[in-house]
Amino acid sequence: MQTSTTKTVNATCPACGLLCDDVTVSWQGPDAKLDVTVKSGKPCGKTVAFFSRPLNAATPMIAGKPVSLVEAIAHAGKLVQQAQMPLVAGLSTDLAGFRAAYQFAHPAQSNRPQANMMHMNVHSSLRNTKVLQSTGWQTTTLTEVKNRADMIVCIGTDVVHHNPRFFERAVWTDEAMFTDASARKVVYLGGDDLNTAPGVSPKGELPTVLPCATIDLPEVTAALRALLQGKVLKVDAIAGVKVSALTQLVEQLKQAKYAVLIWVAKDLDFPHAELTIQNITESVVILNQQSRAMGLGLGGSDGDTTVNYAHTWLDGLTLGEQDVDAHDLIVWINSFSPDKPMPNVSQPVIAFGHPDTQFTTPPEVFIPVATPGLDAAGTLFRVDSSVVLPLKKVRESTLPTLAEVLLKLEAQLA
Amino acid sequence: MITLLKNAKVIDPAHGKDGVREDIYIRDGRIIAKPSDTEKIQQTIDLNGKIVMAGAIDMHSHIGGGKVNIARMMLPEYQETKRYTEPEAHICTPSCTHHATPSTTDTGMHYIEMGYTAAFEPAILAVNARQAHLEMGDTPMIDKGGYAMLGNDDYFLRLLAGKADQKAINDYVAWTLHATQTIGIKVVNPGGISAFKFNQRRLNLDENNVHYQVTPRQILQSLSRAVHELGIAKPLHVHCNNLGAAGNFQTTLDTMGASDGIPMHLTHIQFHSYGTEGDKKFSSAAAQIAQALNANKHISADVGQILFGQTVTASGDNMMQHLNAKIANPKKSVIMDIECDAGCGVVPFKYRDQNYVNALQWAIGLEIFLSVEDPWRVFLTTDHPNGAPFTSYPHLIRLLMDKSFRNDAFAKLNLDAQAMSNLTSLNREYSLYEIATMTRAAAAKLIGLHDRGHLGVGAAADITVYTDQADKEAMFSKPDYVFKDGELVVRDGKVVKVVWGKTHTTKPAFDVGVEKGLKDYFDKYHTMQLDNFKISNDEIAQDGRNQVINHMPT
Repeated sequence: MQTSTTKTVNATCPACGLLCDDVTVSWQGPDAKLDVTVKSGKPCGKTVAFFSRPLNAATPMIAGKPVSLVEAIAHAGKLVQQAQMPLVAGLSTDLAGFRAAYQFAHPAQSNRPQANMMHMNVHSSLRNTKVLQSTGWQTTTLTEVKNRADMIVCIGTDVVHHNPRFFERAVWTDEAMFTDASARKVVYLGGDDLNTAPGVSPKGELPTVLPCATIDLPEVTAALRALLQGKVLKVDAIAGVKVSALTQLVEQLKQAKYAVLIWVAKDLDFPHAELTIQNITESVVILNQQSRAMGLGLGGSDGDTTVNYAHTWLDGLTLGEQDVDAHDLIVWINSFSPDKPMPNVSQPVIAFGHPDTQFTTPPEVFIPVATPGLDAAGTLFRVDSSVVLPLKKVRESTLPTLAEVLLKLEAQLA
Repeated sequence: MITLLKNAKVIDPAHGKDGVREDIYIRDGRIIAKPSDTEKIQQTIDLNGKIVMAGAIDMHSHIGGGKVNIARMMLPEYQETKRYTEPEAHICTPSCTHHATPSTTDTGMHYIEMGYTAAFEPAILAVNARQAHLEMGDTPMIDKGGYAMLGNDDYFLRLLAGKADQKAINDYVAWTLHATQTIGIKVVNPGGISAFKFNQRRLNLDENNVHYQVTPRQILQSLSRAVHELGIAKPLHVHCNNLGAAGNFQTTLDTMGASDGIPMHLTHIQFHSYGTEGDKKFSSAAAQIAQALNANKHISADVGQILFGQTVTASGDNMMQHLNAKIANPKKSVIMDIECDAGCGVVPFKYRDQNYVNALQWAIGLEIFLSVEDPWRVFLTTDHPNGAPFTSYPHLIRLLMDKSFRNDAFAKLNLDAQAMSNLTSLNREYSLYEIATMTRAAAAKLIGLHDRGHLGVGAAADITVYTDQADKEAMFSKPDYVFKDGELVVRDGKVVKVVWGKTHTTKPAFDVGVEKGLKDYFDKYHTMQLDNFKISNDEIAQDGRNQVINHMPT
């Protein structure tokens, strides 16, 4: 016999930077079978995996051996007191977690040193930060793309590897205020192992694919920028991309009512990739002299946008890179992604994280904490920066939040 | 507990007091009448005739939300200077670059150390309001609040273009105030931010937005009327069309007439008071603007004074900031279109006294201050950080109060600019009473903060104590004492106790039926759920900080 739904929660998914907030998590039938749905289309694999992860029993540990929370905090306190130069790393958490981590790293009392901070996505985030701090940029956000964009150019990325529902939510939409959504022109320029299927329009129109290897994008994007500036290139092809094809792309960009040039910093994983991002953003600047175009950096995960933003207003400066070896204690925070391994380090480690977090070497102290958006409410910034969304507590859990644990640790140190 | 401030020299324009010798009694964060002789006074501070004013209120300062944080991210060099150890590498003045993009902590600390107890973020993008409140929530010491931006959002423009009745507009405006937890409504370059997204590059008061076929004048009429009919104290906050453009004073004069006599506040009016006379086709129209302000009693303005040095301009006006990006210094900028809601433009600027335009901008701001007769309708702002960091207010106050100081500064300006300004012929010197009016009483009245900005019985005990000095910059830089909600938080210009202020909002009644249209719009066109757009009190007021105060409309 089928019983009715036992429980339903409207949720926001923190599994990628899009923060889809049309998710419903329900438990149905006699055995409370978990079901994850979204308002339109299908939930992506990341969302399903995030909400379906079972709440496994977890206990604090010292060197891999179960202990009480009180014992774990006491031991962590000793390690912090001994440290001369701690590093708070990982930082996969939400706003409340980061505020607590920032307060922990910047103690008001002078009885212990300040800690440096670094997010696990620092290398990809910095590619964007360097462009922002060198020339700035001209960018747009998802709702503008959804309602205005008549041309989407994905450069060095298929987007969907990071943000699976991007095309469904912002490109092939049922409605758009200022353009015919199904007639949008989609172009992929460069990138390795792209999945271009999501770029096929609902009418079956294929996207334009201008292939080149990711590593050749510095040259190809420089050529695109030069052509937009009106420069003449005296070659037929750049890294295998025909100049005639690039010239056609330039003409289409100029004709577009609202062109959007998209990149994902994580996919541009080569030395000085910031210069390639800058070629993209400066191409947008050139276009905006006469017509309308905007850039959009996508991707995002593990609260990276949130942590960068909050650090900036709390500290005055963006969050940068740190030399792990220069520190004598690593405080590792990973609330969202138990699959992402902690880098091997030689220093003592205090880890706060998802109960399923795996370690190759057990850390000196491990304290399982709630995952925001699943075990606890929270707040995150979407990857396009302007939208901040509340995360819901989706299931009952006795796990403490990161902020609660850090407050206890600070009380221990006071 | 009762605190007694004995022998105060009270300057309280809300009650017409100009240097009255009085005792002030404080209990539970409020000013109370003289208690009976049987009640015990726990703390007495003898002020020996020091000047006492209510805590100052900055009615327009970009202290929270996306734009300023983008500026922080883009300009690490500003904060970097703070770390320089060689004295010559970082000579810190009130207009030092590192004050242009202070952290939230520094913002609260610097404000309270100048005797300011509240600041209002004037340009909260409705869709970005949660970020603005998060940042303001991390700003200690002072009360906060904000004005939500409308008039370029596609929901409103669709209503207006579809000839929705005024009630529908009013409901939407009221709903927005609730959803964004704000206390006023602002319009930036009415219709222009939207027009820029359709590739229009300028928009005049009676020019149509190409898509919606509505004019800025219609937008101003609709929004000013909504604000007025909802009974919100704060008049519509208007950033006029044609920001910064030579000849824009005509747009500003015309805008004053656009609301058919309904109150409006024209913000950073200095940036909108430019003529086209002279060889350089850029001149002061301060006289015309001041004359119109004097004549139009329904209009108030804040100045948006510029002061020389390095700063950054952060505006919702992406149309005009896109033009200004060409003269960015250092040469970088951020321009954004945002969520079919608004936009932003963040452009660093260096105002130089030897630059003709900058020197004249400086003079124009002061000409307006000195030519507007009624200190209840003109407000002291630098449009922080756009004209200068708020930390330069004491310097600005001295420029207003000290004619010889002002004229000495004028004599160092670009000579061509000097020739184009009548500043030295303006002999006015502001009095302490007038300064207290524009920075306290009038600001509280404008925003609708009935228990702030004055020292009457029942008022919140936000109190600043100064030693009267000939050098007004020194006087206003370093109060002897500041009390926030009755607690002594600053002594000799330094914070002695950290407190967290309140969040001021207004929530007029509206027909909940408005959500039907909004829900449909969000489901079709937005990329977030309607319910997640709305900010709850609990999100703002956490751990006893930032308590949400709702000021009832009248």
